[in-house]
Amino acid sequence: MAATAAVWRLINYPITKFLNYPMLPNPLALIAEVTHRCPLHCVYCSNPLELAGTQGELSTEEWTSVFRQCGELGMLHAHFTGGEPLARTDLTELIAAARGSGLYTNLITSGIGLNEQRLSTLVGAGLDHIQISFQDSQEEAANWIAGAKAHAHKIELSRAIRKHKVAFTVNLVVHRQNLDHLEEMIEFIDELSPERVEIAHTQYYGWALANRAALLPTQAQLDKAVAIVAEAEKRFAGRIRLDSVVPDYYAKYPKACMGGWGRRLMLINPAGKVLPCHAAEVLPGLSFENVREKTLEWIWQESPSFRRFRGEDWMPEPCRSCERRGEDFGGCRCQAFLVAGDATVTDPACSLAPSHGLVEVAKREANGRAAIAQPARASSFVQLQKQAADLWTYRTNPE
Amino acid sequence: MAPPTDASQPRLAAGCRWGAASKTGSGEERVVLFPEGAIKLQGTGLQVLERCDGSRTFGEIIGELQKQFDTADPEKIRADISIFLEQLQRKRIVDY
Repeated sequence: MAATAAVWRLINYPITKFLNYPMLPNPLALIAEVTHRCPLHCVYCSNPLELAGTQGELSTEEWTSVFRQCGELGMLHAHFTGGEPLARTDLTELIAAARGSGLYTNLITSGIGLNEQRLSTLVGAGLDHIQISFQDSQEEAANWIAGAKAHAHKIELSRAIRKHKVAFTVNLVVHRQNLDHLEEMIEFIDELSPERVEIAHTQYYGWALANRAALLPTQAQLDKAVAIVAEAEKRFAGRIRLDSVVPDYYAKYPKACMGGWGRRLMLINPAGKVLPCHAAEVLPGLSFENVREKTLEWIWQESPSFRRFRGEDWMPEPCRSCERRGEDFGGCRCQAFLVAGDATVTDPACSLAPSHGLVEVAKREANGRAAIAQPARASSFVQLQKQAADLWTYRTNPE
Repeated sequence: MAPPTDASQPRLAAGCRWGAASKTGSGEERVVLFPEGAIKLQGTGLQVLERCDGSRTFGEIIGELQKQFDTADPEKIRADISIFLEQLQRKRIVDY
């Protein structure tokens, strides 16, 4: 009976905004973390601190079976991410398999490992969309944040992308260390002529949470950023689509994390574990199924992990009686656990949450000192790690 | 941003493409896929967008639909389609 109730709720999605996904009873998109290997060391990486090793990565055949199941489930998008997806030598086959299963294919990449020839092979295999993130508009700062000399290559690659028939998004992750020249970054993006721009404030999971003190902006930085983004939206209108992610620490209400737990998205990690989001593995008391053992359909509909926070039955107060519960679903379960120590409470980012004080403390701390970026330069990554040790910890690679 | 003119040739914008078609209780339905999203189309919206193939002009598309829906006010059809395409253009789903 419980299973039927859960499925019924999935079918009855509230009417979403025009641009959002349409109403469908099935998951809408797959986030495929095809590997955790990455040549970059971004300090805000959303990967878990405990990365999946190379040894246990799903094979080409296993991913192909996943994409076929996604197509059969009526899913629409496959987002290839990592780590760095290009670190997989079989990426062309994976893209072809996803596209062959009817999925819109999106490659989220640093561009390291991609030259014009490989790009044209990927596009030929059915790559619909490529997304490159820039750490900054200034080369020195960008390489400092990424912990790698990647910036110049990304610019070169962006120019190459425009010669191919593939949609292009530039993603800009913004935070305390780069918000002060957001206007310059927007100018920079415009010159890369993408179809779409994502301006995403850092969200505090994985490596970003470990580095939160160095990344959380001040209120003044944020206010200025909001005005600049609004201005950019006007500037880009009809030419470049701009999507921006607001920083939930400074919002009144929490974000609808992943559009609700087990409501729209499935994430598969390099080892085949199926999660409702990037960070869910940190949650205690939940075990996640593996595509090597169970079908995606079963995992979506029946698995205890996907049903755990689906719908409203799990909700505590003040969510349970809140009129916004159908919009934000109580916020993020992982943030509730990571900040308040309990995955079943209201997201502390919500101003109504009993644990909201914890977020206020972090903000007070962030506002108590000036945000002045001081990019470091070093001859090697190890040197850079040492130099920046007081400020932040760079993401490292899995065994 | 201006509405399409009779000589405009509307087409799906870069990065947008048709997904699978399916039958539902209320007729045929198709999705247009684009980065991070999709729209589901049925009925007249579907008929309009399927004609946005980059070769038909806006004038021709209107002509075809005015003929097909000959009991409706032709000026209303023109105005509705113009607004529809302008909205999709703003969302970067259609170019003309």
